[in-house]
Amino acid sequence: MKHAQVKEAATAPFNDQRNPFGAFSLGSETHHAATIPDAVRRCRWIAVDINASGFGLYFVSPSAERARLVACFDSDYPSTAVATKFISGANGEDVVRQSRISTAPRWWADDGIAGSRRVLQSLAWAEPTAPLAPGTNGIALPVHADRGQCGLVVFLGSEITLSDDTLCEIHARSFALFAAVARIRPGDTGRTRSISKRELECLKLTANGNTSEEIAKLLKLSVHTANQYLTQSTQKLNAVNRNQAVAKALRLGLIE
Amino acid sequence: MSSSAALLQPDASGSRLTSRGDLTGFFMQLAADIGADSYMLVAIVHDQDRNDARIVSSNWIFDAIELIGKRLIANLALGPLTVAPGVRPKPLVAAHAPDAGALLTGEEARLLDVLGHAEIYSLRLNVGRQRLFVLFSAGEAGRIDLTALMKAQLKCCYALSSIPQLIAAASMQDPLSDRERECLFWVSEGKTTDEVAVILGVSSNTVNSYITHAIQKFAASNRAMAIATAIRSGII
Repeated sequence: MKHAQVKEAATAPFNDQRNPFGAFSLGSETHHAATIPDAVRRCRWIAVDINASGFGLYFVSPSAERARLVACFDSDYPSTAVATKFISGANGEDVVRQSRISTAPRWWADDGIAGSRRVLQSLAWAEPTAPLAPGTNGIALPVHADRGQCGLVVFLGSEITLSDDTLCEIHARSFALFAAVARIRPGDTGRTRSISKRELECLKLTANGNTSEEIAKLLKLSVHTANQYLTQSTQKLNAVNRNQAVAKALRLGLIE
Repeated sequence: MSSSAALLQPDASGSRLTSRGDLTGFFMQLAADIGADSYMLVAIVHDQDRNDARIVSSNWIFDAIELIGKRLIANLALGPLTVAPGVRPKPLVAAHAPDAGALLTGEEARLLDVLGHAEIYSLRLNVGRQRLFVLFSAGEAGRIDLTALMKAQLKCCYALSSIPQLIAAASMQDPLSDRERECLFWVSEGKTTDEVAVILGVSSNTVNSYITHAIQKFAASNRAMAIATAIRSGII
């Protein structure tokens, strides 16, 4: 009884209409067609909740060596904030590298105000990093979407108020936000539905290291037919060769 | 006060974990804070066609794991009830197994219920590019606090991020060097050896040797399989 009350009280702020948790619940997830302006609005709500003056969402480019951040939007949307120029420049490299092995938030304080540094410093799980943009304070939250896309949601401001508890909450909301944004730019999924079961079977066997000859034997087809299935699926996935077709099929979740 | 308030307090012992013992302590405390009785931290290892669950840390009684079987645990972790951070979790209620569809047989559901896992939540954890799963369960339905659970999910990610070596050893390691990973990534984008050589500014022979090494490290039989293995384990 008592527990139920406490639970209700704790859940109340999450059910607040402007809180994105509700919109990204399991049921609505697949149907929810978000747009970039929607995402900007959601991100602004999070920023308001922690008293941040700026924000931005960046994709981490998948290439390991060229650790780079690609801006999706920031608080000056549809234009681009000055901070973004620094963040997607060389300044982001260290954070990108760390985000490959850690999901811990990274903070920096470069505005020269002692009080604002203290707030970020007091966070138990956040790690300090070099300033992403000079003269700012901020916190970068690593986020990951279903198909392996990585990103950073960044909040800037000298008056950010955050506790360990709020940090968990806004990070969770940032994850949901990024998942929605990552679904908007899924690349080319339009024609993938027409791939036949047989073609997927061949792709899956290819992913498991089988050659066309082996696939033909396993599925009791001629080598020619197996190759044909693979060529067709490659075309349907808009890939240039089998390797890319296998990669795309895995990333799109067509095969496991 | 409330169970979520317990999450507020920074750990007295300092927040970083250093050992496997810390890991157990952290999860025991977290489970208690959200109203759960048990936890199980699982890494999924892809082996050809099969998914194997590797249990990193757990307070389930050993017999229970044996009885339930790792295949079922892998199915739970990879099943539709598992949620990413920020998504409202949905419980698997063992008593109403039909909810779970193909996930559980009636027999397995009864077994879980009897073993004190009446309600199970399965959460995906991201530790950098590594993915792990945690199952929180309680002996009776409705005891686990959802809001606290959603925050706890992030806390798990943070805690595991502080022990990357342990996590890498537990789940599949990323055995590739930066250069090998980069070559493999471009091949997965459909680039030929010559094209990758131009992109990276090295010779084709060097590119081939990086890719051969990557194939060997994955014990794969060709490029396609190496790419598949790397994507499945979240490396590229």
